[in-house]
Amino acid sequence: MAVIEVKNISKTFKVKLKEKGLKGSFKSIIKPKYKKVQAVKNVSFNIDKGEMVAFIGPNGAGKSTTIKMITSILYPDKGKISVLGLNPEKDRKKLAYEIGTVFGQKEQLWTHLTPYDNFKFFGAIYDIPEYKIEKKIKELKELFELDEFINTPVRNLSLGQRIRCEIVASLIHEPKILFLDEPTIGLDPVVKENIRTLIKRMNKEYKTTVFLTSHDVSDIEKLCKRVIIINNGSLVLDDTMENLKYHYLNKKIVEAKMKEKVNLDGEDGLTILKDRGYNIKIEVDTTKKSVSDAIKLLNPDNIIDINISNIPLENIISSIYKDGDTK
Amino acid sequence: MKKYLFIYKSEVMSNLQYIFNLLVGFISYLILIFIFLNLWNYMYDDPTQVINGYTKNQMIWYVIITEILWMTVGGRKLCKKISDDVKGGNIAYNINKPYSYIGYALSSHLGSCTIKALMFSILGIITGLVFMGDFPKLTIASCIMVIITAIFATVINTLLIIFIGLISFFIEDANPFYWVYSKFILVLGTIFPIEYFPVVLQPILTYSPIYVVSYGPAKLFVDFSWTSCIHIIIAQVIYIIIAYILCRLLYQKGVKRLNVNGG
Amino acid sequence: MLMAVKNQIKVSFLSIKYALLREMLNKTTFITNIIFMILNNASFIIQWIILYSLQGNVGGYTFDQVLLLWGLAAGTYGVSRFFFQKAFSLSDTINNGKLDAYLVQPKNVLLSVITSEVQVSAIGDILYAYIMLLIYGFTIPRFILFTIFCLGGGIMLTSISIILSSLSFWFQKTDIVADTGNSLMTNFATYPDGIFKGLVKILLFTLIPVGIINYIPVHILSEFSLGLSLIFILVTILLTGLAILVFYKGLKRYSSSNLMTARI
Repeated sequence: MAVIEVKNISKTFKVKLKEKGLKGSFKSIIKPKYKKVQAVKNVSFNIDKGEMVAFIGPNGAGKSTTIKMITSILYPDKGKISVLGLNPEKDRKKLAYEIGTVFGQKEQLWTHLTPYDNFKFFGAIYDIPEYKIEKKIKELKELFELDEFINTPVRNLSLGQRIRCEIVASLIHEPKILFLDEPTIGLDPVVKENIRTLIKRMNKEYKTTVFLTSHDVSDIEKLCKRVIIINNGSLVLDDTMENLKYHYLNKKIVEAKMKEKVNLDGEDGLTILKDRGYNIKIEVDTTKKSVSDAIKLLNPDNIIDINISNIPLENIISSIYKDGDTK
Repeated sequence: MKKYLFIYKSEVMSNLQYIFNLLVGFISYLILIFIFLNLWNYMYDDPTQVINGYTKNQMIWYVIITEILWMTVGGRKLCKKISDDVKGGNIAYNINKPYSYIGYALSSHLGSCTIKALMFSILGIITGLVFMGDFPKLTIASCIMVIITAIFATVINTLLIIFIGLISFFIEDANPFYWVYSKFILVLGTIFPIEYFPVVLQPILTYSPIYVVSYGPAKLFVDFSWTSCIHIIIAQVIYIIIAYILCRLLYQKGVKRLNVNGG
Repeated sequence: MLMAVKNQIKVSFLSIKYALLREMLNKTTFITNIIFMILNNASFIIQWIILYSLQGNVGGYTFDQVLLLWGLAAGTYGVSRFFFQKAFSLSDTINNGKLDAYLVQPKNVLLSVITSEVQVSAIGDILYAYIMLLIYGFTIPRFILFTIFCLGGGIMLTSISIILSSLSFWFQKTDIVADTGNSLMTNFATYPDGIFKGLVKILLFTLIPVGIINYIPVHILSEFSLGLSLIFILVTILLTGLAILVFYKGLKRYSSSNLMTARI
């Protein structure tokens, strides 16, 4: 069952151009000039209940605009959105009860208050009765391991602790869909890992649908089974993580340290990525040449050390971005 | 001296872009003058009546000038900037630079209020002409003297506010001091000339900053005489010297304290 | 429906309470802010002492009535800036895309925004207002009327600011227009209406409703009039309604508009 249905949505912005100098600023008051920017072009996708979907793209690709349209902050120019059967444009309040949002860079917590007081505040916003809210706080406190600092003012918490509280605050009303916009931005690797584990646990526990944007590829890799990639406002890929990897898995990276120099120029199915004489790095297209053939070409007797690996997901994604740019 | 002129000039240039904001800001000024026009119209029976030595039109011109002087200085912003410099450690950068911080703060601030001063003066005088249809009797020489005293008044005002800002070296929040100063000037110095106050208070007000930062130029504008002009200029020069020395002393003491405490 | 209203009021008061707690973190600053605002208002009494030394009557007001006028000016200002402070920086909130956070909450957007901040010195204004009432002459009926006028006037000031700030939904750089409009209200509020004549007087009871917010209450407190009281209540309702209408019209534009300043 699809909880989010997005059909052919588009959104164009007019950006005011400012000319330089005094004359320019007078001109822009009297007769402003605009440049049209199509932030989202004809995007469609469906998301099912309980899915964890990564929604990624470079800066300015239209990620935030899309999220804002799904969460009823902005209305699309064209196309249709249905979230849990509701129309975000018309049922803003109704929808708000059903969704939770965490915007990594924007804080929704009162920083001078403790997480506990904040949760109570959000409880009031979502009209949750007193007895129920206490129970919910207790439950989430355990799930997200907030025990140590639930009574410490938010301004005294570390960034990682804060984000955990932000997520809990957005879960107080048991939303059916959670929007996480860059939840791990600015965190160190250990804390990132911790947040990911908690998000995973939450998804398992409550079956909450998670819609995640992130620049951090490992966030996506570790959390999501499905990826939607958007670039320059258009959808460029909507596939499972497995397919995405598999599609690129027929390429291997071979790094070798050699006793003697080898010349591999012009070999079919091989791309030389780096050649520093005795150290060589090549990409092998296994549909054209098997890895063992490639190693034979290097001459196994000459190899001091060898490392064969998959292409990192990060490179896969950036090559998808690039493909989109050239189209 | 040349470097301070340069600081002044670049500050003037960078303020050119705010002309639109200044124009809208002028509306607030206009409303204030309009209210005083109505007030004095009510208080005076006819234009020839003289109260405490001033006619109705003189009273309105007086407020026009004092308000221009006060509004162009933008004291709150300056005081905040200085105390931010002190508290934010910006001043530590300035210690090693080959200019005096006081000179820098003074020239850059004068630069930032020049455009506003010019604009408000022109528009303020047009306002007066439209509202009253008359202009005080001023010769070219006395006009020049009014302008000189107005510039001196702005310099003194700036130095005194810098002094207040520098208090933040020693106290967490210099705002209450600025507040007292601004209330003092606004309530006692811009609405009424010194002659309106009880005779006992008048000598005190004459020695206070009010005489040099607001009363002086405004008085010369509405009722010029060379004797009062000379008095005012002498008082202003003395004030400039004293205010500058006080700023230097406070700054040096503050920097020393900064060094001892390691900022 | 009633439940929703109850919940809404609960959230708004909680929001004001939390915002107040934030300001009380630094006790010294909190108290000095309040005291200085009382002194600030009191300092202007000097101006009136001097004016009344020239004439026993300024603009048809006795000295006591001017104090009452100041009380109402401070009271309405205080109520608007204490409960609804954010209504006075609403342009900024709109321009910087900060409304988004409120749009994902299932509560009234306008109320949630304007109650998310308090101005501490406004407490000083409100205290000053009641000090003025005390000097003017305290009676229970007067106290009740005065409180109603401060609340109603505060709501009207807030509504005016919301209407002016909502211009930011359509036009750029209108934040200074809103600021100028708000300071205009305060400037006129502290002078007796008798000094204004003709067109200006008409404006003060219509387009710039200082007359309704401040002058009419002074007249009612001096000599009760049912007609004037009804006008006061009617205008309060009208202005509030208009503010809500304009804001939501703007908000709709905000969501569907294609104008983008700093929000992708």
